Amino acid sequence: MDTHTSSVIFGWDPLWVSSIVFIITYAMVVTEKINRSIIALLGAGLMISLGILNQETAINGIDFNTLGLLTGMMVIVAISRRSGVFQFVAVWSAKKVNASPWGILFMLSLVTALFSALLDNVTTVLLIAPVTLLITGELKVHPYPFLFAEIFASNIGGTATLIGDPPNIMIGSAVNLSFNDFLWNLAPITLLIFPITMLIIYFIWGRHMHAGDEDKQRIMLFNEKQAITDPRLLKQSLLVIFLVTLGFLFAHQLHLEPATIAMMGAALLLLLTSINSGAEEQSEHVHKSFAEVEWITIFFFIGLFIIVHGIEHAGLLDILAKEVLAFTGGDLTLTAMAIIWASAIFSAIVDNIPFVATMIPIIESMSSTFGGQAQLMPLWWSLALGACLGGNGSLVGASANLIVAGFAERAGYRIHFLKFMLMAFPLMLLSILIASIYVYLRYL
Amino acid sequence: MTMDIQSVLIPTIIIHPGMYVRDVFTECGKLNIHALPYYNEKGKLSGRLTLKNIMKFSCLPEHMIELAHLLGNQMSCIENAEAKAQEIICNPVEPYVRELSETISAKEPLIKALAMMEKNETSYIFVVDEEGEYKGLVTIQGIARVMSSLGKICPMNSSI
Repeated sequence: MDTHTSSVIFGWDPLWVSSIVFIITYAMVVTEKINRSIIALLGAGLMISLGILNQETAINGIDFNTLGLLTGMMVIVAISRRSGVFQFVAVWSAKKVNASPWGILFMLSLVTALFSALLDNVTTVLLIAPVTLLITGELKVHPYPFLFAEIFASNIGGTATLIGDPPNIMIGSAVNLSFNDFLWNLAPITLLIFPITMLIIYFIWGRHMHAGDEDKQRIMLFNEKQAITDPRLLKQSLLVIFLVTLGFLFAHQLHLEPATIAMMGAALLLLLTSINSGAEEQSEHVHKSFAEVEWITIFFFIGLFIIVHGIEHAGLLDILAKEVLAFTGGDLTLTAMAIIWASAIFSAIVDNIPFVATMIPIIESMSSTFGGQAQLMPLWWSLALGACLGGNGSLVGASANLIVAGFAERAGYRIHFLKFMLMAFPLMLLSILIASIYVYLRYL
Repeated sequence: MTMDIQSVLIPTIIIHPGMYVRDVFTECGKLNIHALPYYNEKGKLSGRLTLKNIMKFSCLPEHMIELAHLLGNQMSCIENAEAKAQEIICNPVEPYVRELSETISAKEPLIKALAMMEKNETSYIFVVDEEGEYKGLVTIQGIARVMSSLGKICPMNSSI
């Protein structure tokens, strides 16, 4: 049986009870006083123990495709990064522009955007930020513009593909959208937003950047090959990343879901890197690789899926959907615009994952109003663009932003919340304006 | 020769508030040890100072550790190494104090000291008396030194 909701919980309507659990969970996640995975799991536990869902229904609410895709990619990235490939590319690209500060800023941002699109933006900045600090230190230029540009590049790059940013993974899984769907619909607009953003960064900082010849020479003396710590692992990682990308591109023809492709890629890379090792060494390698999966994110997702399923079950999301439609008068264009702007502003201020998890069933329930699931596509792309690009609006807008800020602070360059937001928020709004025009012209 | 904690105990100075990094470096260098105990203002054993921690936080930004394999002689940061070192040794110890790790009583068996070092992934352990007062430390090198000085003669190694 798929439905189980007590008609009354301690004399209260389940709709009220589930809404209270949902609001408290949201508020706790926003305050960041307690780890978000703990809050989400407690909220999920309450949804079950208060009788809003039974365990079977709760498990049905978990999107295992999202979890599988995230976990598989995390394992692949955890193993690949040990080869030093990211740092190799970063140093190599810096030398390609003869160590000119603006050239380096542009190249590191481009590399960040590309890796963020193909892998994930958190790992990308985790590996590019240290190289940036090292290079700017040697060039004797302030790292802030570089890190600022990389934050934007990571979120713009992540917007372009199914696997680039968690909101896209969630939307893709819920609506059964392929890697190619995202590539075809979102990548084109990121190809416009990225250069415009870089142009603005050039006019603000880039044109004033200068470095002495001696300092540039130091960069040219870096040997990028020293970044490659394990050439064999590098070849294995590149092979698997290539195969996984091919898998995503031909997923439809292969009749495979993205989670299966990512999980098979992870298993293949584990196999390749375990061959010729003894049983104990294999166990250690596999254990280390699994340990690097961001379990906080995975358990946060599990809890969140259950909580959202709880409020959906109790009828709250239907009410919210009706409110949104009443506000927009059931007009598709207005609804798409409301979604893209609201999700951008919301994602700039708080974590975009709970927001997207809540919005997915809300949008799904609008299909009867707009005449079927196919008519909802402008709304899905609006949600993806708003949630991913909105992450650029503030330092807490995306995990990647916080990672860059953390590295900078520990290196003695604190990125101030307000200073960042004063520049980032308008720039984010500009990207949303461009995205809105794109959605309007292409889909409405 | 007995193999107990007393036999390998290394008495050291105690670091107090107001002392400098230089004091830690001098004592550790002299005795070939990695850490020293720290007594707080109330005269209580409350922490430790380790060479690794001081070096890490005063000389090595996180991104340099991450990119250790890329560092070379061209680095600008090595230009003023001497001036930087002079600055560090005159820093007060307080910012570098770490939490106290597990201690062991002088009456416990040496194998327990070894096991605790392994468990805590360190190469030393502080030794205290019944009142919790610091008596010295035991290092893995100290234990190896005592073991190597045992009388047994090893068979001839043909490869030497």
